[in-house]
Amino acid sequence: MASRKEGAGSGSTSSTSATGAASGKGKGKGSSGDSAVKQVQIDGLVVLKIIKHYQEEGQGNEVVQGVLLGLVVEDRLEITNCFPFPQHTEDDADFDEVQYQMEMMRSLRHVNIDHLHVGWYQSTYYGSFVTRALLDSQFSYQHAIEESVVLIYDPIKTAQGSLSLKAYRLTPKLMEVCKEKDFSPEALKKANITFEHMFEEVPIIIKNSHLINVLMWELEKKSAVADKHELLSLASSNHLGKSLQLLMDRVDEMSQDIVKYNTYMRNTSKQQQQKHQYQQRRQQENLQRQSRGEPPLPEEDMSKLFKPPQPPARMDSLLIAGQINTYCQNIKEFTAQNLGKLFMAQALQEYNN
Amino acid sequence: MSRFFTTGSDSESESSLSGEELAPKPVGGNYGKQPLLLSEDEEDTKRVVRSAKDKRFEELTNLIRTIRNAMKIRDVTKCLEEFELLGKAFGKAKSIVDKEGVPRFYIRILADLEDYLNELWEDKEGKKKMNKNNAKALSTLRQKIRKYNRDYEAQITSYKQNPEQSADEDAEKNEEDSEGSSSSDEDEDGLSATSFLKKKSEAPSGESRKFLKKMEDEDEDSEDSDDDEDWGSDSTSSDSDSEEEDGKYTVLASKFLKKESTTEKKAAEKKREDKAKKKHEPRKSKRLDEEEEDNEGGEWERVRGGAPLVKEKPKMFAKGTEITHAIVVKKLNEILQARGKKGTDRAAQIELLQLLVQITAENNLGEGVIVKIKFNIIASLYDYNPNLATYMKPEMWQKCLDCINELMDILFANPNIFVGENILEESENLSNFEQPLRVRGCILTLVERMDEEFTKIMQNTDPHSQEYVEHLKDEARVCAIIERVQRYLQEKGTTEEICRIYLRRVLHTYYKFDYKAHQRQLAPPEGSSKSEQDQAENEGEDSAVLMERLCKYIYAKDRTDRIRTCAILCHIYHHALHSRWYQARDLMLMSHLQDNIQHADPPVQILYNRTMVQLGICAFRQGLTKDAHNALLDIQSSGRAKELLGQGLLLRSLQERNQEQEKVERRRQVPFHLHINLELLECVYLVSAMLLEIPYMAAHESDARRRMISKQFHHQLRVGERQPLLGPPESMREHVVAASKAMKMGDWKTCHSFIINEKMNGKVWDLFPEANKVRTMLVRKIQEESLRTYLFTYSSVYDSISMETLSDMFQLDLPTVHSIISKMIISEELMASLDQPTQTVVMHRTEPTAQQNLALQLAEKLGSLVENNERVFDHKQGTYGGYFRDQKDGYRKNEGGYMRRGGYRQQQSQTSY
Repeated sequence: MASRKEGAGSGSTSSTSATGAASGKGKGKGSSGDSAVKQVQIDGLVVLKIIKHYQEEGQGNEVVQGVLLGLVVEDRLEITNCFPFPQHTEDDADFDEVQYQMEMMRSLRHVNIDHLHVGWYQSTYYGSFVTRALLDSQFSYQHAIEESVVLIYDPIKTAQGSLSLKAYRLTPKLMEVCKEKDFSPEALKKANITFEHMFEEVPIIIKNSHLINVLMWELEKKSAVADKHELLSLASSNHLGKSLQLLMDRVDEMSQDIVKYNTYMRNTSKQQQQKHQYQQRRQQENLQRQSRGEPPLPEEDMSKLFKPPQPPARMDSLLIAGQINTYCQNIKEFTAQNLGKLFMAQALQEYNN
Repeated sequence: MSRFFTTGSDSESESSLSGEELAPKPVGGNYGKQPLLLSEDEEDTKRVVRSAKDKRFEELTNLIRTIRNAMKIRDVTKCLEEFELLGKAFGKAKSIVDKEGVPRFYIRILADLEDYLNELWEDKEGKKKMNKNNAKALSTLRQKIRKYNRDYEAQITSYKQNPEQSADEDAEKNEEDSEGSSSSDEDEDGLSATSFLKKKSEAPSGESRKFLKKMEDEDEDSEDSDDDEDWGSDSTSSDSDSEEEDGKYTVLASKFLKKESTTEKKAAEKKREDKAKKKHEPRKSKRLDEEEEDNEGGEWERVRGGAPLVKEKPKMFAKGTEITHAIVVKKLNEILQARGKKGTDRAAQIELLQLLVQITAENNLGEGVIVKIKFNIIASLYDYNPNLATYMKPEMWQKCLDCINELMDILFANPNIFVGENILEESENLSNFEQPLRVRGCILTLVERMDEEFTKIMQNTDPHSQEYVEHLKDEARVCAIIERVQRYLQEKGTTEEICRIYLRRVLHTYYKFDYKAHQRQLAPPEGSSKSEQDQAENEGEDSAVLMERLCKYIYAKDRTDRIRTCAILCHIYHHALHSRWYQARDLMLMSHLQDNIQHADPPVQILYNRTMVQLGICAFRQGLTKDAHNALLDIQSSGRAKELLGQGLLLRSLQERNQEQEKVERRRQVPFHLHINLELLECVYLVSAMLLEIPYMAAHESDARRRMISKQFHHQLRVGERQPLLGPPESMREHVVAASKAMKMGDWKTCHSFIINEKMNGKVWDLFPEANKVRTMLVRKIQEESLRTYLFTYSSVYDSISMETLSDMFQLDLPTVHSIISKMIISEELMASLDQPTQTVVMHRTEPTAQQNLALQLAEKLGSLVENNERVFDHKQGTYGGYFRDQKDGYRKNEGGYMRRGGYRQQQSQTSY
């Protein structure tokens, strides 16, 4: 993979494996779309800035966000800089975000830095990022700037030793649906969209300039910092528990959603029946009236008599399904790695004995 | 009295008479009638007519009249139109006005109109009902008149200050107005306040017309009474008058003009006369009374309400009349006929009856008559308050008590008197002493009514006042009377009556804790050192025995379901109150009341609720927390315990019910001395919930399907958690919450100190008759449940634990610890085994870990998800539903086996996750 050649992460020697995890997921899916961007190239600076941003401001399940700046070169999106959104507090409700962004970009232009808006980034808590909010803002980004991506940074996985940074875009299909703003079951069915086809992941390459690479090699030789072995930690229960908990919550939501949908279906069919009965009755009466020589009853507006029940918006369930999918991927990945580690530990143990 | 009002028709004189008692009403704002009545004296001087002026003014007055009409029927649109015309007409008459000054009637209409509009404006209800046009016209007219009136502000204010003066001129106009309008009055609907005012102003005019006819010979008492009383009756006459006179209105006007002066003079004269008469009034009425008394008692019962009270006792019979049974009975019937009639003074009636008793007694007419009269006295006493909702005055009730007592005395003294409600008037035997006397009347209903009144009095007395205590002392008298009646009826009454009186007795017994019996139970049976006094005290029947006897009789003999139900409930309550838990429970279960109590009427339901609560508290005292919790669950979980027990109304639902309902509910309230302490109730409930819930929570900490045993308890816990700062507990609830937290950690000592301490003793525990016993029971319960909780919570930490350590930790003796642990092992709550030789518990460690539990839960949730999903699928498939349903059942069966909690099986199923 292309990313292997460049070091990233916290500048330590473990960078090779870190980037491997980050970009490994991008295979296959990225190529599926006919979208403008086939590859995302990120500067090491951007990665560091995002990580720093989270470490400074985000804690727990709080989410930090920021703007990505860069350029589109052929089918490659180069992200060369970024800046964070300021954290919102309740007392400055009149704070104008757009204003701030414009200010920021103008200032950056003054110092001759790339100032083109190419997307945004967001941190995530145990991979729970497939939400309505993300969908909406990414939609508006992509609507305005066709090439924009969202970078998802998972601090928890990163803390465990493997940098986790992923770039996502909405698929053209989803863009269509969002443009229509029609999330009824029929519309989604027509669009033939499923949770797998909501987001497309774009492969990421982290690239540093040669000068920096040289500096890194230089530094690596000199650094006396002991290697950190977070990667080898065998503790799994906490992470797994949290993930399960979150997964369970989503499953619950899904269940509720399905129940809601089920009621809707039942209601529609019931109403259909009523409508049918009504029509039949009407017809019979009209026949009778005809036989008596009376004028038939006037036609009535059926839609007024039987208001169709409000169909539940299916977008939520799609999102939930997508979220569940991500959780499952995460857990699978995590357990696979952990099993590997456990086997390794076992082997070591046996060797030592 | 007709002597005084020779010409007045009967009804009229009566109404005017009763008018006397009405205080003169404040005459705020209705200038309409006042000018007529007060200011006519100076009339003559100004009656000069100038033709030019007259013409214009007539135009104005015509307009004003239409405006007044429109005002009366609330036609604001019309008002607006006419008002505009009026303005124009007034402009035309400007030259005259300049000469003469603004005519008073003009100012008058302006002021009146403005007032009227303001009134309409304020009347939000009316405004809503108004149609759109009217409402629109109202606002425009209001603005216009405000603007217009600004020019005449001075005059209007002066008019408002003394309307009489300014009214003099248009007195006759007013009259005409009213006449013109009275016909329209008839189709007037919905009398608003304003139309009332108008009507009043019109009434006197009718009155004055009547004067024309009647003046010569009619004396009226006072103006006020006339105004308030007569217009109601007179308006009809004036209506009819005006109807025929409507057509020749102009003629009438002139007629009036002529007659007016004389009329008014006379009216004034009359007024002066009236004033003089008023002074004589009291004297007159007294004379009236005297005269009536002389009237051989023919009309003596017609005592009028407002007249000064008759101090001298009316004589019943003419002197020298031989008093016989027949006469007395006749008299009695006379008195009774007045009963219930309007204008009958009930107090006087009672007095008369009592007098009659005296006379009868003096004349030795025998007990039969006296009994009969007494019955009637009591009935009249009950009648004294016509409104059923209000309660009797305690004094009256006292009198009633005395009366019943006397009646009972007589009945006991004369066993040959038969009393019954089914004895017909004709078959009564009051005089013939050879045969047994027969009197119509029912002592039982009287007593029941008396008892009800007692309840009402108690309901309406402030329970925290000395007064309440005073009233409560009468309870003993009530009981005594009931007992006497009971004794009487046992001899003479039918079984049905006996049942009823027994129930009364039961209702007065069941809620009282029998301290004597309690003492006796506690005292050693040999008790040789008992003093004589003690023995005397103990001679009274145990209330338990009494209840048993009464209730059994009712169970056996009663045919109405209600009495039996009440008796059972009271019996259970009594059992529960005296800690006879098993008897109480068995009775409750055998009666099957729980199944059909919802069909009973609210008072019985309240009694049922009270019984259940008492049952729960009893179970708690016995240490049966589970039973206690179950019994109290229904009452407590609703959060409306107060309402369900009939111990007060909830403010919350006040908006939902209307006044009527509220009254009914108020009447259902249980008097304060029967109340069950709500805090005690809640505390008992919460503590028993704590004893159940905490170990349960510990055992099922990570079980998704955990059910709350008590929602309310959880609610309290949550409230406690939400507190930002936890100080030392203050209220009872906080104590329980704090104790629960301690128990969760297995710390029984802290728990104990939270549940039983000075504060809680004062608030709750000391309220029990056997407080110490309850406390010891509670301590033990806390120890046991804490032990269980401890084992549930920390078993995963231990490989094995010595029972001795446990017994030390929880200060329980070894066998108890052993038995508790054994129970837990048997019921598969604790995965462990006992090692007998070393006295240790060896843990098996088969409880799933946190992850395993989570995975289990997830699997369960996924199961339901799949199920839901398939249901959707079913729907789509429609006809193939059967096939899938079969499948689904199979699937669920599998799930069930694998989801079930416990043991080893699960472990294998999820390690592979």
